[in-house]
Amino acid sequence: MTSDTVLETIALQKHFGKIHAVDGVDLSIKSGEIYGLIGPNGSGKTTLIRLCLGLLIPTNGTIRLLGKSIPDKAILSKVGYMTQASALYEELTVRENVAFFAEMCGSHESAWIDEAVALVDLQDRASSLVRTLSGGMRQRTSLACSLAHRPRLLLLDEPTVGIDPQLRATFWSYFRSLSDTGVTLIISSHVMDEAERCNRLGFMREGKVLAEGSPVELRKRKGTNTLEEAFLKFAEDGDEGGPR
Amino acid sequence: MNTRRILILAGRVMRQVLRDRRTVALIVFAPIIILTLGAILFRSEPPVVSIGVVNEDQGITSPLAGSVNLGQRIVDELATGDSLRLVTLNPEEVDASLQDGNVKAVIVFPEDFTTSFITNHQVTLDLRLEGSEPTRSMSITVYTTQAAMKTLAGLAGTGFSIPGSSPPAQGEPVLPVSVQATYLYGGEEFDTMDYIAPVYIALLGMFFVFLLACVAFLRERSQGTMERLTATPASRFEIVLGYMLGLGLFGLIQVAVILFFTVWVIGIHYHGSLALILLIVAIMAVVGVNLGILASAFARNEFQVIQFIPLVLFPQVLLGGTFWAVSDLPNYLQPLAYAMPIYYANVALRDVMLKGWGLAEIWPNVAILTGIGIALVILSGLMMRREVA
Repeated sequence: MTSDTVLETIALQKHFGKIHAVDGVDLSIKSGEIYGLIGPNGSGKTTLIRLCLGLLIPTNGTIRLLGKSIPDKAILSKVGYMTQASALYEELTVRENVAFFAEMCGSHESAWIDEAVALVDLQDRASSLVRTLSGGMRQRTSLACSLAHRPRLLLLDEPTVGIDPQLRATFWSYFRSLSDTGVTLIISSHVMDEAERCNRLGFMREGKVLAEGSPVELRKRKGTNTLEEAFLKFAEDGDEGGPR
Repeated sequence: MNTRRILILAGRVMRQVLRDRRTVALIVFAPIIILTLGAILFRSEPPVVSIGVVNEDQGITSPLAGSVNLGQRIVDELATGDSLRLVTLNPEEVDASLQDGNVKAVIVFPEDFTTSFITNHQVTLDLRLEGSEPTRSMSITVYTTQAAMKTLAGLAGTGFSIPGSSPPAQGEPVLPVSVQATYLYGGEEFDTMDYIAPVYIALLGMFFVFLLACVAFLRERSQGTMERLTATPASRFEIVLGYMLGLGLFGLIQVAVILFFTVWVIGIHYHGSLALILLIVAIMAVVGVNLGILASAFARNEFQVIQFIPLVLFPQVLLGGTFWAVSDLPNYLQPLAYAMPIYYANVALRDVMLKGWGLAEIWPNVAILTGIGIALVILSGLMMRREVA
């Protein structure tokens, strides 16, 4: 693990009975990258993210997050996590939700909370109760909750699922500006046009990483025009059929 | 009205319930457990109660009927049943025996007990009751009155009459037996509500926060915020303690409301310190919060939480010493009773409210209750699944 490696997994496995949700995953993600975990539903993306956070105990393998072996509760103060569901307190306001999760991560900077709310363009609704918000606003609040403590690594589980194309584009502009400030982002998605926006991708299927590389590399390796076609070819071949 | 649609909907509801095995199990076993418990308790043999006897009755000797000691005859009558165990006491042992709990009541026959009957055609039983258990006090009063009535009835036809004695005055019929009861604890002004109030307060103090905690914790899991929370540096115990403090505040507010209402509006009689009562019920509220968090670990949805209510509530009421003293329960149920937090709150509250005891006397039960609270915090923390659903 080099000094700029943010996340490293070695031979990581998680079995639920006979189901091998994560099956021998080796990852090495560098600081400042936007890394896309791309694959269909049930391919093991969420399980992999939860393993990295220490929310699940691996069956086998090791995880190092920001230089610490997982599980390590203290290191989670430097990590932001956006769950697939919006996971907010409906009876609290936008700002109260954001402030709560920031404070649980040890950050008490009021300015950072306001910045996070501003980043997702919810300044005008900061005092609104979450239960009065639209689905898109909830997703934005959820994102703000994961970044108000200024984490070095953001794990975003399907952050754009169920939101309209315009908001999706807005989200990607948020991700890009976070990456520019040196934050590492690991984003899971099953939408291929989102994969194009990542620096590097891991194609996942049945708990395995089929292939890893930049969008251009992956297309080139299979000689396809789109990432979707490349993914299908990798899936057909069963493995990446070339150097990672 | 489309019957087919109704049947399809009913079928879906049935399928849903059947797939929820825990609910099916609760539907079947919850009533069985509660009914069994009730049957055991209501059908159990009445306990043998120790009562003290101080018999100083000198009796009387009649030329026709010979020597008669009415006090002794009543004692003999009391001894014929299985319900009482009689302990002969000296007059100076009466208060100590009641305080120690060796006897639950003492019946005192004065020297002139028989002669006073001859003169007045009426006996007055001097019954000194321990008084902290109303149902027991009542049954002892009934037993002794019945024994005295039976003894007097047995005298009829023995030719027992005393020259010079006068028949009762004409007019209002006078019962031949009256009871002069005095109470070590409580008193005649204490009604059933006063005796039930301690357990009532403890149960209410625990129950609503139990529900609040159970549902709040369950919602935290179902809306996904628990997953997010566990992905912060917060440990499981920090989360449990945070809940305990947060909901504990409302528990305390509720406890204050309950106490205010029972003391000043319902007007229950109590001795002892109100602050001490507040302390005990506050600990009970903390126990309720943690019991709720613990129970939520076993519930997947609000429906299951609702079904926990009878399972949590009934055993506490039946076994916690509310209506049956724990020492009177069948031996195999007693360990269960001692596992009920309400038992310790109930005993401590009765000691304060009926006996007027202070912290110096009740601290063991308060300590055990606090210990149960701490144990529940630890258990709740351990039960919070590391692998959050």
